[in-house]
Parts: sequence; structure tokens; C-alpha cells
Amino acid sequence: MKVAFPYFGYDTIALKNFVENLGAEARLPSPPTERTISLGTKFSPELICLPFKITLGNLIESVEAGADTLLMAAGARKCRFGYYHYIQENILRKIGNGHSFYPISQYTPFEFFFTKMPKIFSVSPMKVISATYLLLQNSALIDHFHNLVRKARAIDFRKAADREKQALVILGNAKNILQVRKAKKSIERLFDFTENVPHKIIKVGLVGEIYLMLEPFANHDIEKELGKMGVWVWNKRSLYRHLKHLLHIDHLGIKYRFEASHYLKESPGGEAINTVGEARSFIKGGADGIIHIYPFTCMPENIAFEALQKMSADYSIPVLSLSIDEHTSKTGLLTRLEAFIDILKRAESKRVVNKTHLSSPLTAH
Amino acid sequence: MKIGIPQALLYFRYGRFWQEFLKNLDIDLLISPKTNKLILELGVKKVSCEICLPVKIIAGHIEWLKDKVNAIFLPRFIELNHGLYTCPKMIGIVDIAQMQVGNNCTIISPKIKNNFILAHFLTGLKLTKNPVKVKNALNKALPYSNNHNAIVPVADLKKPKILLLSHFYNLCDDFIGRDIKSTFRNNGFHITTKEDLANKILDSDQGFAKNIRWVYERELYNAFHYNLDKVNGICDIISFGCGPDSLIGEIMMKEANDKKVPFMQLIIDEHTSKTGLVTRIEAFSEIVQRNSTSRSHIIPVAS
Repeated sequence: MKVAFPYFGYDTIALKNFVENLGAEARLPSPPTERTISLGTKFSPELICLPFKITLGNLIESVEAGADTLLMAAGARKCRFGYYHYIQENILRKIGNGHSFYPISQYTPFEFFFTKMPKIFSVSPMKVISATYLLLQNSALIDHFHNLVRKARAIDFRKAADREKQALVILGNAKNILQVRKAKKSIERLFDFTENVPHKIIKVGLVGEIYLMLEPFANHDIEKELGKMGVWVWNKRSLYRHLKHLLHIDHLGIKYRFEASHYLKESPGGEAINTVGEARSFIKGGADGIIHIYPFTCMPENIAFEALQKMSADYSIPVLSLSIDEHTSKTGLLTRLEAFIDILKRAESKRVVNKTHLSSPLTAH
Repeated sequence: MKIGIPQALLYFRYGRFWQEFLKNLDIDLLISPKTNKLILELGVKKVSCEICLPVKIIAGHIEWLKDKVNAIFLPRFIELNHGLYTCPKMIGIVDIAQMQVGNNCTIISPKIKNNFILAHFLTGLKLTKNPVKVKNALNKALPYSNNHNAIVPVADLKKPKILLLSHFYNLCDDFIGRDIKSTFRNNGFHITTKEDLANKILDSDQGFAKNIRWVYERELYNAFHYNLDKVNGICDIISFGCGPDSLIGEIMMKEANDKKVPFMQLIIDEHTSKTGLVTRIEAFSEIVQRNSTSRSHIIPVAS
């Protein structure tokens, strides 16, 4: 059995290990390229959001690469994401041949552990539970690694890129609990130069829709580009947190829901509550600016957008909203990012001047 | 105390109920005027440009009301009929409204999570502090609660029948729906909409409708499914940026194509011009006429 699923940033490694742990072969295509997106766009409905197009392109390329079992997350609620698989299945049936497509509902853990996964992979439920435990550990490690890389890029971009490559090899080889623990130690050793953060570093909170925040292809590698400019990106979203949320053990989610309640009293679905809550706690934690990234016409994020605008005025913090679709060009994005970071730097230097202004009466004329 | 009700979005289904209910609580009501260009412009300035047309319109109504009243009545529909959701924007519009009006004006917002009556009862209590009065007001208003604000059908079987498939807040709002409906009528069509159907059909959970967890989207799909072999053509009116429609519309289009029923998607936003609409609808009506002559099992087209 050759299993494939759409790419999901660094966490693809964790998902791949999960599939391999269940005794199947993971047959992923080469990482997404322009071709992926144009393939996806060709077969997609006109007004659908970007993650649909990229994941569809991924799945088509997986079929081409020889996968015979396709997995796609599902679970219909308020957001469009849960409905993707109905249309994707139709499209794939039309163009593929002989593969089977399994939507994996996110909100039915019992079914997931005891009927769905055992049936697809023909393994025992215990095996699924242990593989999921490993997936959790693995994704926790990747989250940790991701945070280290973000910090490292701001301090020394070249060194960070070099160490990132080494760390990815270590991560790919961590296939059981012991190896995950070992990998954690060696990754921490790789990034030990990040312990001392220089004072005058620009800190930006990245919030938005989870797929665009975590999949570097979808967000035009925004974290790396910001790192190149010497910006420390704060990003609290990860597959680990999402999995914990699905298992109802995500304590951070409760905190962010509370933070967001000042602006959004009810969750409009998707990740809007997290977006607003994270942004507010970033601001309180001393971020210089917030970048909000979401797919064009995303429903929940458009509600979050309004809240962020209000928040920007309340706390006088710059907020950059990036609405991404398949026509977004990297150059345009970079220009906007550079301008935004310039604003942040100027605000920062002004703040320093103001402080000296107050402390020394000699300079005040 | 003066309470305003924006005449937009869910007003077109529950408006009569709200009016009756609040009137019986002896509350001074102000209902915003029918949508016009000015209101739309107010709204467009206030919310994100990506948001769909109905939400822009309601933002305009709120903007129009906010200086004229003490409070705005804007219920938050989260979950209906156990496990069916409204769309994210309808849930979020209350928060947007709160941010928009600031401290000048409060938003009175019954939170409807499966229990329509209880939510209104609690809100009524907050307003009058007299449970008996609230109960009486509710009893008087309830007959209006499922008012579909129906467009009365004219049974003219000689005309070709077209199904206008869109949300009630698009079709019943004259600003959006009137031009479309009149153009179809001028082209000799008999219009039917989902509001003409009984609730039993609209709320059915048979077939694919079972998978749709958006309450109004399920109604659309059921109306589509029910009418598929009864009409000569289907026109799906989507406001640009509407998430649920972009998906369900695609599914319906596929089914209609499989059954060879003419199906057109009209995507509208605040820039849609009447001329453009007329051109497209005329072209579509020709397709319908040509198609109907080759399919004799449905009502023949008089020509």
C-alpha cells in the first residue's frame, strides 16, 4: 500500500513517520512547485480558497507518483475546510485511476482509533493509538525545532540555514520514542547559539490561517524571508497544538480564547479565535508588529481581520494583513514585508529616542 | 430606550418575529430603511473589502442606525436544528458590529444555540425584567417566527420555469434581487425560489444534504434537488466571497450538468451592473429555450 497525503510544512515528516509506523509506505511526490498550484487551480472551483487548490495539486501529483491510497483531513463544521474532500474526491475520481480516497474526520477520535484507521491500514487499534502517541511526540519535537529555527534565523541567518539542514536529517530518522528523545537533545545542541538573544531585535507575531502559516510553499516562505531581514518571528501555531486541540488537551487554546474574548465573544469557526488571541498575547508579550496571513476570501479570518484592525488601533501596534491567493507574487509580498519591517524599525528607534529624551534633561530644548 | 433593527441579512426571515416581539415588550423601534446606494457605501467603508455583499450591506445598516438609537438588535445565530451552523460571517457580524459602534450604542444579541425561544426569552428578560410580559410577547410573536417572507408564486404553467437559487437575504433584499428577478420575468420566465417550498423539504437530511452542516446551504441544496427535474433552468446567485456557496454551488453545478439541466452561476458584488446582468440572463434564457425543446419530459416552452 502506497499512502499519500498533502504536504504540511515541516510536520510532513511527522505525518510520514505516522504512516510508516502503521506499516504502509509513504509515497509523497516531490515538494510542491508552481506546477502543483496550476494543476490544483485548473480543476478547482473558481471561488474556493487557496489551501484547497494546493492540497488538490498535491494529491494529483501523488497519484502521478504512484500512490494508491490518498488521505485527506475532513470534518464539516463552520469552515470550508471540512468540505474539501467531497469535491476533491470527485475531481480525483475523474482524472485518477484505481486509487482509493479516504477522508479522515478530525472530530471523531473514537472512530479514528477504532474503526477508520484500523480498517484502512489493517492494523489493531492499539497500533493506531501508539502510532498517534508517537505522532504527538514527533510533532511536539518539530514544533520545538521550528521555534528554535525562527530564533536562530534572526540571530545568524546563514548558520541557521546550515543547522536546519542537519536538524531535518535527524528529524527524519527519529522513528520511535527513544530516537525522538535523542533527536531532541541533539537538535538543542545544534541550536545552542540561540540562547542569548541580542536586545535590539525586531519581534513580529505571525498569526492567521494554519495552513498558510505552516506550509512554506503556500506562504512564499515568509518566515525565512523575515529571518533574512533579521526579524524574530513568533508563531504559536503548530500541528502539535492542533492535534492537542482535537484531543481536547490544548491548554494554550483556552488561554487564547480568553485573550480573544475582548474582541470576539464567539468562535466564528476555523482559527479566528486563535488568531485574535495569539495576536493579543503577542502584543502584550512585547511584539513590535503583527503579520496576519490568510487565504483570499477566508471566512473566519476575515472576521479576525476586523478584530485585528481594532486591536491595532487600541494598542497602536502596526498590523500587516496579507491575503494570499494563487496570483500572489513573491516580489510583491517581499516589497510589502520590507516596508513593514522599516516601519517597525523606525518606530523602535523613535521609542529609544523618546526614552533618552525623558531621562536626560540636557537634550530637551 | 430606542432599539434599531437593521433591515438586512437575517431580518428577511425573522424580521416579522423580532418586530412583533419587541413591539409587545413596549419598546420603541426603529427599522433601517430598505437598502440603497448610500447604505451600501457606508458599509463598504466599514468592513474588509473581501467580505461578501450581504455583510457589507448589514454593516451599512448598522452604521446608519448607530447615531439614531440607543441599542441595535442583532441576534447571533450560531447553531440551529442541532448540529447545523450558520456561516462564520453571520456569527462574527455581531462582534464586528460591536467594534464598529464603539461605546455610543449597545448591541443586543440573543445567542441562539439550538434554542431559538429560550435565547429570545432571556433577552426579553434583560429588557423588561417582567417574565410574564416576555412570555406573552413571545407567544404573540411566535406565529411569525417561521415566516419565509415568501414571494407569492403565480401559477402560470405556460411559461418556462426557472429556479432562482440563492439565500433569502440576497433575493428578498430588493437592492440585490429586484433587478435579477425582473430581468427573468421580462424574459418570459416563471420564477420559483426556495422560499416557495415547505420547511419539510428544505430541512430534509436525505442524500448529500446530510453532509452539509450549514443550515441555509442545506436548504439551498434541498431546494435544488427537489426542483432539479421540475424546472427548465437553474440560476445560482452567489455573492462574491461567499464561502459556503463556492463549495455547494460547485456540487450543484456538477449534478445539474450530469442531468443536462441548464445551470448558470451569477456572481454578484457591489460593482455588479444591471446591463451586465441583463446580457447574461438573456443569453441564458436562449439556452434554456433551446434546451427545453429537446427535452419533452418537462413542461414545454411556449414560443
